[in-house]
Amino acid sequence: MAQPNLEKQINILDYALSSLWRHRLKSLSVLLVFAAVIFLLASFQMVTQALSGKAKQVLVHTPEITLQKMSAGRQEAIPLAYRDKLAGIFGIRRVVPRIWGYYFDEVRLANYTVMGMAVDGMPEGNRLDTALAQGAMPGPGERGRVVVGYSITKALDLNERTTFSLFRPDLSLKPFDVGGEFSRDTDILTNDLIVMNLDDARDLFAIPAGLVTDLCVYVANPKEIDTIAKKISEALPSVRVLTRPQIQKTYQVVFGWRSGFGSICLLSALAAFVILAWDKASGLSPEERREIAILKVLGWETSDILAVRFWESVIVSGLACLVGMTAAYIHVVYFGAALFRPVLMGWSVLRPELHLFPRLAAGDILLIFAFTVIPYLAATVIPAWRSATVPADSALGG
Amino acid sequence: MARRCVEPMRPSLVFSLLLILLLAIDGALLMDGQNRRRVQDATLAQLEVATSSLGLTDLAVATEARYTRHPAASDAVAPFMDHPGAIEHFPTGAFWLPPR
Repeated sequence: MAQPNLEKQINILDYALSSLWRHRLKSLSVLLVFAAVIFLLASFQMVTQALSGKAKQVLVHTPEITLQKMSAGRQEAIPLAYRDKLAGIFGIRRVVPRIWGYYFDEVRLANYTVMGMAVDGMPEGNRLDTALAQGAMPGPGERGRVVVGYSITKALDLNERTTFSLFRPDLSLKPFDVGGEFSRDTDILTNDLIVMNLDDARDLFAIPAGLVTDLCVYVANPKEIDTIAKKISEALPSVRVLTRPQIQKTYQVVFGWRSGFGSICLLSALAAFVILAWDKASGLSPEERREIAILKVLGWETSDILAVRFWESVIVSGLACLVGMTAAYIHVVYFGAALFRPVLMGWSVLRPELHLFPRLAAGDILLIFAFTVIPYLAATVIPAWRSATVPADSALGG
Repeated sequence: MARRCVEPMRPSLVFSLLLILLLAIDGALLMDGQNRRRVQDATLAQLEVATSSLGLTDLAVATEARYTRHPAASDAVAPFMDHPGAIEHFPTGAFWLPPR
């Protein structure tokens, strides 16, 4: 019983494929447009998944609590004296002050991220040398020595020399000596960094003694992060308290579907579907009516014609899905999402080389499938039924 | 001498061959992906050390605006620093949604 039924379905599949081949220009254009829409959607999904996945992986080690002082809704320098107020909170292991900010290089029009701190006071600070491609971190007493990211070396053309200068706010020059360079494997975190001692950063940004940019707070028991954060908020009401879970969560929402680019992709995909569905639903051509009438005269049943239309939709949408997703994967993994770089990095002058690697789960593939193939199949159900119920005599007689 | 009649391949067979070719390409990509994953995982230790010893909070991907360079640690009004409801003028703001 199963054998004849299978044979029948294969024959119907043959007919559907021949039918698509007869209208190959139309079929191919539908397939290409559909594959392009899926390519855009899947590429977007893979880029955001790769970036948020990477953030999730590495930001597990971000400071447990970061304190920033807010004034009039903006961040400003936080007094070091606030450490005394934290001393009474039980469960805090250590507080590390940090000065960091942005240095705009007017010659190269690039933004550098300058970070000053006592690295040996941080967790794993003594192992930071393992993240360097060459050189070593400056010691606590070594003034004027810095470690830079790869893009800084490139922007300042530091291959031949090891010294450079940056302007203080009063336009006097502060000289630096490059003591090391971060490994290229850490580019996604350290690409635009200039790391130095706290005193050097204070001198460069002319931040008065007794003030820093933020305080990194480490707690004894990670389960108490929220409790300690609450106690800090009560002790220091003007301070913004950022906890590790909040920072990790940021990257899960930052590339949301609500972001502008996501909406554009989604809207273009939806527009393409509406056009496709409209095309399918907007009546049958006289040739199609005649073809169906002839099939019916030859003994085809309505269910057979429905099956032909179903197979046609499955072939077009399935093939488009496969081609679109494969092309998206190649685009993201082998070409570093080259099409999205203009929006992903914008006017940034320092650009890391992205090695994106989406960890695709079955759920991600199903999501793209559900967004694309299923609406297409649904959109073709009514036209398929309309075409299958064309009376043979009216089509031939007309 | 009897003429040999070469029967053309059935369309479903041609389609199956095309599908097998596409799936073979996907299989090759999958295997290459496994190798790349191993290489990337080997660099994870360096990234972890950099994050914990510098207290990093963000990825260095977009460096043009401070709220896309440090979405987790920049202040919430930064995208609207000129006036409330100001039109976003950095291109990366289209991709990097400010956290709420």
